[in-house]
Amino acid sequence: MYTLLSGLYKYVFQKDEYCILILGLDNAGKTTFLEQTKTKFSKNYKGMNLTKITTTVGLNIGTIDVGKARLMFWDLGGQEELQSLWDKYYAESHGVIYVIDSTDEERLSESKEAFEKMISSDVLEGVPLLVLANKQDVEVYHLVGGGFEDRASDCMSVPDIKTAFSDCAPKIGKRDCLVQPCTALTGQGVNEGIEWMVKCVIRNIHRPPRQKDIT
Amino acid sequence: VGGWFSSLFSGLFGTREMRILILGLDGAGKTTILYRLQVGEVVTTIPTIGFNVETVTYKNLKFQVWDLGGQTSIRPYWRCYYSNTDAVIYVVDSSDRDRMGISKSELVAMLEEEELKKAILVVFANKQDMEQAMTPAEVANSLGLPALKDRKWQIFKTSATKGTGLDEYNLHCSFFRHTSLHSHWVNE
Repeated sequence: MYTLLSGLYKYVFQKDEYCILILGLDNAGKTTFLEQTKTKFSKNYKGMNLTKITTTVGLNIGTIDVGKARLMFWDLGGQEELQSLWDKYYAESHGVIYVIDSTDEERLSESKEAFEKMISSDVLEGVPLLVLANKQDVEVYHLVGGGFEDRASDCMSVPDIKTAFSDCAPKIGKRDCLVQPCTALTGQGVNEGIEWMVKCVIRNIHRPPRQKDIT
Repeated sequence: VGGWFSSLFSGLFGTREMRILILGLDGAGKTTILYRLQVGEVVTTIPTIGFNVETVTYKNLKFQVWDLGGQTSIRPYWRCYYSNTDAVIYVVDSSDRDRMGISKSELVAMLEEEELKKAILVVFANKQDMEQAMTPAEVANSLGLPALKDRKWQIFKTSATKGTGLDEYNLHCSFFRHTSLHSHWVNE
């Protein structure tokens, strides 16, 4: 009887809490993605003006409920000097979202380095990984012979990014991994990414959720 | 409708004052920071016994900034000022490696206070002009900031005497664009 009642109590009043880390270089769009996610998934949330988001130097947090799961986001600053703080959060993370600026081909190798360092950590083994190819809406003008090319080309696509990151594949190993095209500013691709992440963190039995009473 | 009008009103005229506390160990540079923010100049300071309070205006917003004395004997009185605080600026002397531990335990004790549950935490890694100054990441680590899992925090490198990191832009990033504060304004 007790088990039944406590089970019922848990069903009604407890949520499974999962901690999701949002990483990536500075200016990749991590905070914009977090704000967009909060706006989309919490009913009463009045989002901030997405165009006015500036560099994060520290930690932004956010919580959303998706079904019975509660996701708690940690959005960390991506500047080089702050990257040394990332690993302090690995042990408690249930999932990682890595954001890439698809328009910035120059810094792609820098992003890859940071990515490789992150996935090499033993602590994150088996943790689901969502890679967001962000800013898919932006058209890129290249500098050609001192002036801008008159025709805009598309930003890097998902296949382009996959190719560039291909040698990371062995390190990604067996963990769930998805590369999702996305535009955090408009919200395109955000729902798909979050829903995939929810599915994966629930499925990952190696990292059980924290039980949290709904307050 | 009344709420909507008043929010519109405060949005237009910014009637509410925001209350900010500047805390940190003695000699961290709190008073110098306060007057840098207020008059934009370096003033000669003496150790603060008690507090300094000034109003800083930026655009149409007003901040009431309290700078509390940081000596060991008067730190217990900080808590008398905690209620209704919107933000805490925690100032650290980045070159004072020996007392980083004390600075951390004071910070941890402060953050446990119920009255500061909703306050924003902004850390100023001050005295960056000193040669042996720790980097912001080092300061963040020694203060145990990564252990704060359900509070937004930010860290800035500053030099109060040189004025770096204390411009309006930084302040703007620290407070005005803060989401929860933003909605705070909207809801009031």
